[in-house]
Amino acid sequence: MTADPGPAGYPPPDVVPADGPLPSATKLTERPHPLTPFIRGWVVLLALVISIGREFLPNGEGPRQLPPVEIILLGVAVLALGAAVAGYVSWRFTRFVIDADVLRVDTGAIFRRSVRVAFDKVQSIDVVQPFAARLFGLAELQIDVGSHERSKLRYLSLGRAYALRDYLLTRARGYQAEEATTTRSVSVLTDLHETDEVLVQVAPQTLLLAAVTSHEFWLIVLSGVLFVGVGLAIGQWWVLLAAGIPTISGLFGFVSRRVTGQFNYTLSRREHGLRIARGLTSLTSQSLPARRIQAAQLSQSPIWRLLGFYRIDIEVIGWGAVTDNEDTSGVSTILLPAGTWAQVQVALAAIWPRADFTTVQLSPAPQRARWLHPFSGPFLRWGHDQYLVVAQHGWLVRRWQLVPHARVQSVRITQGPVSRRLGLADLEFHTAGMHIAAHASGVDAEVVLERQAELMALLHHHSPDLSESGSAIGAPDSDNSGMAGGQAGPDALRADQAEATISSTE
Amino acid sequence: MTDLFTPAAAWQRLPDRYVTVRRLGALAYNLIAAVIVVLTVGFLVDWRWGGALAVAGLAWTGWRVYRAGRWVRTFGYAEREADLLITHGLWNKRLTAIPYGRMLSVNVESGPIDRAWGLARVELVTASVQSAGHVPGLQQAHAAALRDRLIAAGEAQALPL
Repeated sequence: MTADPGPAGYPPPDVVPADGPLPSATKLTERPHPLTPFIRGWVVLLALVISIGREFLPNGEGPRQLPPVEIILLGVAVLALGAAVAGYVSWRFTRFVIDADVLRVDTGAIFRRSVRVAFDKVQSIDVVQPFAARLFGLAELQIDVGSHERSKLRYLSLGRAYALRDYLLTRARGYQAEEATTTRSVSVLTDLHETDEVLVQVAPQTLLLAAVTSHEFWLIVLSGVLFVGVGLAIGQWWVLLAAGIPTISGLFGFVSRRVTGQFNYTLSRREHGLRIARGLTSLTSQSLPARRIQAAQLSQSPIWRLLGFYRIDIEVIGWGAVTDNEDTSGVSTILLPAGTWAQVQVALAAIWPRADFTTVQLSPAPQRARWLHPFSGPFLRWGHDQYLVVAQHGWLVRRWQLVPHARVQSVRITQGPVSRRLGLADLEFHTAGMHIAAHASGVDAEVVLERQAELMALLHHHSPDLSESGSAIGAPDSDNSGMAGGQAGPDALRADQAEATISSTE
Repeated sequence: MTDLFTPAAAWQRLPDRYVTVRRLGALAYNLIAAVIVVLTVGFLVDWRWGGALAVAGLAWTGWRVYRAGRWVRTFGYAEREADLLITHGLWNKRLTAIPYGRMLSVNVESGPIDRAWGLARVELVTASVQSAGHVPGLQQAHAAALRDRLIAAGEAQALPL
């Protein structure tokens, strides 16, 4: 059904197939997979078993009074059954239509809710497979339209979920595509097929090594050692157990979260966008809308300096907080959980093909900045080119913040009384995200004065968007003559504009 | 002193009567806050501590009232071709540049004290919560005119999000 979308009138009379399965229905609607209620009950059961089982583990507080086993089992059974019934009701009333004209999701038994989404407003689509769903080859489809609430379709068969995802992503880019109904041969562990270009892949060994050498790991170790040390110093031997066991289980949990959550991490490119697939027990495959990335932050733990590892977090509008729990199923803002310098460059080139932050000239903070930043002083640097602002901070954990000028909402220069004495100033770059607060500290005030006008002008310069590799939206108007430096030539620019007029997206 | 916080532009200052408004505002808010804190501490802890806090609160209020005039004179805004500059601050000086193209909306607000003196405050809202594009203490007619100019400039120069 690739007919041109008719006027907004619903239903278009010619869409109903004469021999359709629902002749009285106005539209071919689909339901999630019938196993859905069962799986949702199972998820609740699993969660209960784990949380109750935890109570039986020694936690240094001695045995706790628990009700008899029969009552616990009965309670668990009732709750699981309740979840299954709730799942059944929600399944019964969830319908969706995804075809050439309409993307519509109806949910809710008591409060009916019908969400209809314009195809070109779809920002990203994620396919999430929690462990229980994975056992049955099912998956959840999450549709992000840029608002806070995502539409979730749970659960579909994996092949159908991937097919719908590919179709919606194609439509989101403004192409009138044939609806993909065939299921591709999909591996159980990854979401790749032949045409995909694998950009970055992180091996589980690397994840394991990176986890045990990360500063978070050593902070847990340090706090455990501190507790035990204090306990031994005051001659309380039981502290060894009381602090030792939680520390060890905490370390184990931390490492296993990092490894299973990001297992088989793969950043790949398909024709219409980037995608991250990861996970051991629950598999997540999320698409990455490069235009909505506001800022990126590289970080490096102390031991990683020797190993040459980096991690990249990104901030994306509408994705909420920067992820700190690696195991979370669903979207995560980790662009690279742990990787080498070469992988960092590949990953950044994938999201911002026009920009190259390694070529940005960075100027170190002057010697006198050590008065204000005694530890991080030697590492403080900042600089910018025509696309990016780069700021370095940090003492133990080193951070590089990268913000494209095109995403900066406003820029602020601040100077406190001490900075004024020292002839220093701080710069803040405000983006639509709140979690990576990009700033450059301890900058020479003279340099700021020199570059002030340039920095402010770059905010509103109409240069081609850095997340487009020259095949899409071009310069909206012609005032980029001063910035023709490292850009695509005039031919490419014309092609950009032609493309922009053909596909009237964004 | 460098002109780091006032680059060459047509700077506009706030009207003198905003000093009075700011003094009254500081007096009102600080006194209310101080009374609440002093009473709480006095009843819950000790009246000697309450008394000490009362002295501190009065001193702080007096300091703010005294500094209000100088603070208002440091405040300036400039409408340039493509962006709005805002500068203010005595100890912590700051200069914020907000391109018109980033504008999402422009608010005009006026509280009871503002209204009694015929003043209003204009806020340029962007997608970032940190931008804080406030211009307080404008005469109401000027505030409305500034709002309309900002809206017009923002529409003419809209930048993609």
